Amino acid sequence: MLFSKTPRVDEFEAAALPHLNDIYRTAARLLGRGTGADDVVQDVYLQAWKSFDQFELGTNCRAWLFKILFHTLHHYRRKWLNFRMVNDGEQILEQMATGSPPIPEHVTDEEMLAALAEVSQDFRAVVLLVDVEEFSYKEAAGILNVPMGTVMSRLSRGRRLLRERLAGLAHSYGIGDEPQEGIIA
Amino acid sequence: MNQMQFGEGGCDKARKYLDSYISNELLVETNHEVLKHLEGCPACSAELEVRTKMRARLKAAVNSQAVPPDLQVRIRRQLEHQASGGWFRAGWGRWAVAIAATLVVCTAVWVNYPRETMPDLSDRPGQNVYIQRVSASLAAVLKVGLGDHIHCSIFRKYPQNPPPIEKMESDLGPSYKGLLPVVRAAIPEGYRVVMAHQCGYAGRKFIHLTFEKGGDLLSLVVARKNPGESLGGLSAAAEPSGIPIYQSAAGRYEVAGFDAGDFLAYVVSDLSGRKNLQIAANLAAGVREFLVRTPA
Repeated sequence: MLFSKTPRVDEFEAAALPHLNDIYRTAARLLGRGTGADDVVQDVYLQAWKSFDQFELGTNCRAWLFKILFHTLHHYRRKWLNFRMVNDGEQILEQMATGSPPIPEHVTDEEMLAALAEVSQDFRAVVLLVDVEEFSYKEAAGILNVPMGTVMSRLSRGRRLLRERLAGLAHSYGIGDEPQEGIIA
Repeated sequence: MNQMQFGEGGCDKARKYLDSYISNELLVETNHEVLKHLEGCPACSAELEVRTKMRARLKAAVNSQAVPPDLQVRIRRQLEHQASGGWFRAGWGRWAVAIAATLVVCTAVWVNYPRETMPDLSDRPGQNVYIQRVSASLAAVLKVGLGDHIHCSIFRKYPQNPPPIEKMESDLGPSYKGLLPVVRAAIPEGYRVVMAHQCGYAGRKFIHLTFEKGGDLLSLVVARKNPGESLGGLSAAAEPSGIPIYQSAAGRYEVAGFDAGDFLAYVVSDLSGRKNLQIAANLAAGVREFLVRTPA
């Protein structure tokens, strides 16, 4: 079994590289503009390659890569990931139920991304994983190494914050100045 | 996952669970209760629509961000470097001499075999799956060139005995036969043209020139732009003579592309990223000049 412990580059590339765009975009959205997402992603793939012999082919390579991404980000920006801004509590669900700020009918990509950038990073991470990358709550919890309840509360808060940012945009357009129950999509 | 009973204050309860409903994370019973509530509540239905649209818009906005086209190339180089260097770090050094000797013997055999499992010539669905899999990570506008290269040069196979130049010019047609001398003049020494014709793949027509050198295969693929189609949204890997060239790797292939008036032009090969980009840079000015003069 001379070569059994040496993973082949082409196997790794076939399994891991199709997810490159998703990994890059998530890293870029978490790090912000001009903050070296390229370097982080290269590091993610290097770490993934080094531990590829522990990866079981046929299992969820995408979730595995995202887990490495967040692990890498944790070291890359230890400060912000250690800085807990989140108050995990049931009141977050309550907040989601009260009030529904209106958002503009037409939101450009730039406006949406600017609003997302204003959402705190812990919340933003969960919104990206669940709403953009479409991971299940359970998968997101595994990637972030937090309980599923934490994912749910951060997701609710993150969505709420994003909506509030977009509502601010709507307000600047003169939308939502009148009290209203319905919401403009 | 959540389970709940609806009753008094149904709207408040329903809205608490709308996000989990959108994410398909509710238990069947709760999901049914939410659905039942939505059927009879226009306000909550409208709220559901807003949240669904916001999620879709967010996904579209994030996915609109271009990924640096050379990032995959850089990662592959890093991996190749690590893979080769790792042998010695892992204590394989003592095997190196013996393995090198074995490789000398094996190489002669290996070069005569395909490097990866390829679908059979008659397996059209398998070919399409292969092309889709290989090109999955490419920007859509780069997939165009790679698809035709694999479909035509790899699967249809270039002729071992190329036809005379006159036949190739005839196959290119009067509008495009002038492209052949332009490309032959700029392609590096040693490459011979083995195929030049008009072809079609995935509903598009192409001008396709294939060159070969010592087993390396390289295509120049040209396609008319569809409305709104351009490489300009990507990050340029090089800009010789003021012509931005965009490049990305897909599997064992390198795909370089540049805009040329109403056309998209691609240089596709299984050479290294650096060599492929260099050849594209050599060809870009002449090919673009020819194509912008080509009548619509």
